[in-house]
Amino acid sequence: MQPKMSKAWLAIVAAVVLLPVFVRQAIATEIWIFAIFGLGLNLLMGYTGLLSFGQATFFGTGAYVAGYLLKYYGVNVFLALGVGIVVGAVSAAAVGYLCVQRSGLYFIMLTFALNQMFYFTAYQWTTVTGGEDGMPGIPRPSVLGFDIHRPLAYYSAVAVLFLVSLWVMKRIVESPLGKILQAVRENELRAEALGYNVPRMKLAAFVVGGAFSGLAGVLYAMLFGIVPLESIGFVFSGNVVFATLIGGSGSLYGPVIGSFVFIWLSESVSSMWARWPLLLGVAFVIVVLFFRGGVVEAWARFWAWRAARRAPDAVQADASR
Amino acid sequence: MLYALMGIGLSIITGVLNIPNFAHGALFALGAYFLYTLIQLIGNFWLALLLAPLGVGLLGVLIEYGGIRPLYKAGHDYQLLLTFGLSLIVTESIIIVWSPVGMSQLPPPILRGGVDLGITFYPKYRLFVMVSAALLVLGAWLFVEKTRYGAIMRAGIEDKEMVALLGIDIHRLFTAAFALGCVLAGIAGALTAPIRGLNPWMGVDMLGIAFVVVALAGLGNLLGSIVAGLLVGLAQSLVALVWPEASVAVIFAVMAAVLLVRPQGLFGIR
Repeated sequence: MQPKMSKAWLAIVAAVVLLPVFVRQAIATEIWIFAIFGLGLNLLMGYTGLLSFGQATFFGTGAYVAGYLLKYYGVNVFLALGVGIVVGAVSAAAVGYLCVQRSGLYFIMLTFALNQMFYFTAYQWTTVTGGEDGMPGIPRPSVLGFDIHRPLAYYSAVAVLFLVSLWVMKRIVESPLGKILQAVRENELRAEALGYNVPRMKLAAFVVGGAFSGLAGVLYAMLFGIVPLESIGFVFSGNVVFATLIGGSGSLYGPVIGSFVFIWLSESVSSMWARWPLLLGVAFVIVVLFFRGGVVEAWARFWAWRAARRAPDAVQADASR
Repeated sequence: MLYALMGIGLSIITGVLNIPNFAHGALFALGAYFLYTLIQLIGNFWLALLLAPLGVGLLGVLIEYGGIRPLYKAGHDYQLLLTFGLSLIVTESIIIVWSPVGMSQLPPPILRGGVDLGITFYPKYRLFVMVSAALLVLGAWLFVEKTRYGAIMRAGIEDKEMVALLGIDIHRLFTAAFALGCVLAGIAGALTAPIRGLNPWMGVDMLGIAFVVVALAGLGNLLGSIVAGLLVGLAQSLVALVWPEASVAVIFAVMAAVLLVRPQGLFGIR
């Protein structure tokens, strides 16, 4: 492993350990859950160049199905997580199959419209999903004898899963599949000319991204003990796109940083003012107009700027000597 | 017919400007709220119906000028975030200015009550909406097909560089197209208000439907948008008769089915 890589890992592990000291544990947990969600989207948006505006579909279906099993059948945690992952992946396969037929604007609109379909299904199917009230009463069963009801215990479990997810995503991105996906992003025609089945590759990205979203969905359901209707709504899809973009899409750690910034800010603002989505909207506009490229790029630019400032200083220092 | 109206507006915007306009639904809602307030202020339904969409169109000009213009080269992700952010701003502003509680708006006195159509009794106002939406759709279609501006707009959908080379101010074209789309969304919203009442989230459903209409029709295909709008409306009301709960989800199912059989959409060329 290159030293730079391990430094980033060190920083993340340190953040995982230190975060609950500074932030409320529920929020800290939500940050890593959202980061898993963002990782899934980033594979699609950042690495494959597919701007999916319907990630909440996979998040929500995973949360609902696993939540239902947890609530009514009392299944064990691993099964619930597994089901969430599989359901997320399967719904992503179905949605992805339709969406990869088209590209550009059509693609975005399709992911959105299908997201709406799932949303309205969840909204109307009140006997199962609880409709507008959400599906409350999701239990948090113990893991291998460990009770995870205490916030810190659950935080640790989620943090471990997050680190595993990040590692898996790193492996995927660096695998041949990851490279092919990036080739599709850079030049779809050329990737196709090289003999890759582009729609199938896109579909693969969808399925993997959906699996991550489904996992995040189950963790979210167990965190709050409820599957709210919003978790499958399009605003949620928009939030994860925004979080990933402010972090910097197309970089492995972008969504991690993004979800940290996004969840932390939105939680602190939302407790102050009920109309906080207005500020969120304003933030969207400001970021889009002035800070394109996200935190990761701003960071890089800051260092370049510092280096550029330092260089003339060094020259001057030399001259004065 | 209202779906067709929304679809055409969105189709013009997406077709000419090549951006995903996620604020279209919020602008629709704004049209309805403008109508409501203007009626309160001036007490004349007809004048309000004329002014409300123009207000939305004016806002559209501002949005295009201040927000979208710097983003033409920035990629769909940022355009999407911008319009999505705008839709949040508009929706929340509606909540702050008016209220989160739904309101109702009565149609003007002449259009209250119903007419006996022989076979069935039909509310006058709905008939009015149907006829006026049909006229507007026809008008929009004639404008786009038969006038010089429409020709420029269609040329803009086909090939922007060529249009710019011919000495036409492409930025003005974009602004005009965006404003036109906004006006159409505003009219649709204003017309809907007396039927379905007003609430701040009324645009969200409409947005999804408008996207379906456009996806079915093909971007920038206006005639296709009209047919697809009618089709979607028809499918919805038929399902609403037999299985009311599913009437919204079915729209998206129709779209999924059509795209499975014809990935390019009903009338899509690409």
